[in-house]
Amino acid sequence: MADEKFDAIVVGGGPAGLSAAYVMAKAGMQVILIERGEYCGAKNVFGGIFFTNVMKELIPDFLNDAPIERNITKRRFAFLSQDGEFGGDFKFDRFNKDFANNSFTVLRAKFDKWFSEKVEAAGAMIITGAVVDDFIMKDGRIAGVKARMEDGDLYADLVVLADGVNSLLAKKLGFHKELSPDSTIVGVKEILSLPEEKIRDRFQLNGNEGVAYEYFGYAAKGAIGSGFVYTNKDTISVGVGATIKSLLEHKLNPNDVLEHFKNHPAIRPLVRDSEQKEYSAHLIPDGGYKKLSKLYGDNVMVAGDAAGFVNATLFHEGTNLAMETGKLAGETAVESFKKKDYSAEALSLYHTKLKNSFSLRDMKQFKNSSETLDKNPQLFDKYPDMLGDLIAELFTADGEAKWPKERRLMIKLLTSENPFRLLKTAIDMRRVII
Amino acid sequence: MKHFTTMEDKLGLDKFTAFEKSHLKIKPGADPMVVEHKLFVCPAKVYELNDKGEPIVSFENCLECGTCRVAAPEEVDWNYPQGGYGVTFKFG
Repeated sequence: MADEKFDAIVVGGGPAGLSAAYVMAKAGMQVILIERGEYCGAKNVFGGIFFTNVMKELIPDFLNDAPIERNITKRRFAFLSQDGEFGGDFKFDRFNKDFANNSFTVLRAKFDKWFSEKVEAAGAMIITGAVVDDFIMKDGRIAGVKARMEDGDLYADLVVLADGVNSLLAKKLGFHKELSPDSTIVGVKEILSLPEEKIRDRFQLNGNEGVAYEYFGYAAKGAIGSGFVYTNKDTISVGVGATIKSLLEHKLNPNDVLEHFKNHPAIRPLVRDSEQKEYSAHLIPDGGYKKLSKLYGDNVMVAGDAAGFVNATLFHEGTNLAMETGKLAGETAVESFKKKDYSAEALSLYHTKLKNSFSLRDMKQFKNSSETLDKNPQLFDKYPDMLGDLIAELFTADGEAKWPKERRLMIKLLTSENPFRLLKTAIDMRRVII
Repeated sequence: MKHFTTMEDKLGLDKFTAFEKSHLKIKPGADPMVVEHKLFVCPAKVYELNDKGEPIVSFENCLECGTCRVAAPEEVDWNYPQGGYGVTFKFG
């Protein structure tokens, strides 16, 4: 392989890298994708929902053979107090038809592997089990990469970095600084097996319907974070995520937070009688628009988590942003390939495309979310019980007449928290959530 | 069915292929107390102090998330393990 030169090298076999490679290979470019895992997906972890709006554009008939677990027809958003939960949910039968709401649970080890086979079938070459450590520079410009393997010097006109949240390569280029503890979430997750019938009964599901339950408030033992329960075919995914800064301040280990979450009275009945199958951990870049990396330079583009594309608001979108940014990087590469011009100026088309895409627009809309949460720790320690107590008391039949009781509880609320702070938190949350 | 709660048991669920050399290092000259002050945050509890107060790095248990790198960038020298080694997720 030593003297062979490719049109493009893609680093990383997740949804961003695979999408970029797919688009470029389809257009006839010579593409090589390098993945450090034993197979694409071997190192990849997420909460559980794959949003398939971009997959539908790339592979319209993907549902024929993609390893989908369940079609998410119900989503629940709940606020945990120490001993209870309060929240809301929605479920629509229309999500059962056609492409539904483009929300499916998948297991990444299976799904990314399946996607990588489609990318290979489209003509890209995939090498697994190789880490890319550095770039090959020629006349001050990127001319390829150095992979940790025999004959690991690979040359190409273009390098697409899709090497995930830790992206040591983008850091090497000075495209982004080190991830900061206040805007980086560590997520831990367990896969728990349960018979299909039990999953349907427990979560009130028909056929391959599935649920996504998200938990806020006191979900991370008082740290700034949240928890989730998602249904797969015959397993459920249960996990928590919290900012590293907040875990450090609270002296918490993520596994202890997960244990606490699994034993919360609202969660325990959902996970009972299950068998543990896997324990995993992964980082989530939660810095939003302001912490996005530089997106392109001469002969290089960055996509997906490597660039910081995650919408960690109520929507919890990530995989579709990864696919969209990978796809747009791929389309940009195809234009450069036609013009034989991979300069930063030519690749600025990537940025133009992003500006017109939901991926960058959503990042911009929620640009303050992680800072806002960092400034409002009361949402995760003080408020859950303050609000939980109010609701529990209001709905206790104790002989107290309703009007004086409501008045008393309102006064209690306004004396336990500064009304202006309460109002400000509510307004702040509006910007973070939706 | 009773669930595993300890780290050792949970990591036993996962598939690891250990490489001969560690991909994680505490930088020379770093205060070993970083283990107690910051690295308790590692989801696999890779970092511990031995009886003599020296850091022990159980790199073979690493889930490759990068938490330690973000929590203690001054003290931890982090890299990916050799390709094909380390953790291999069957579910993910």
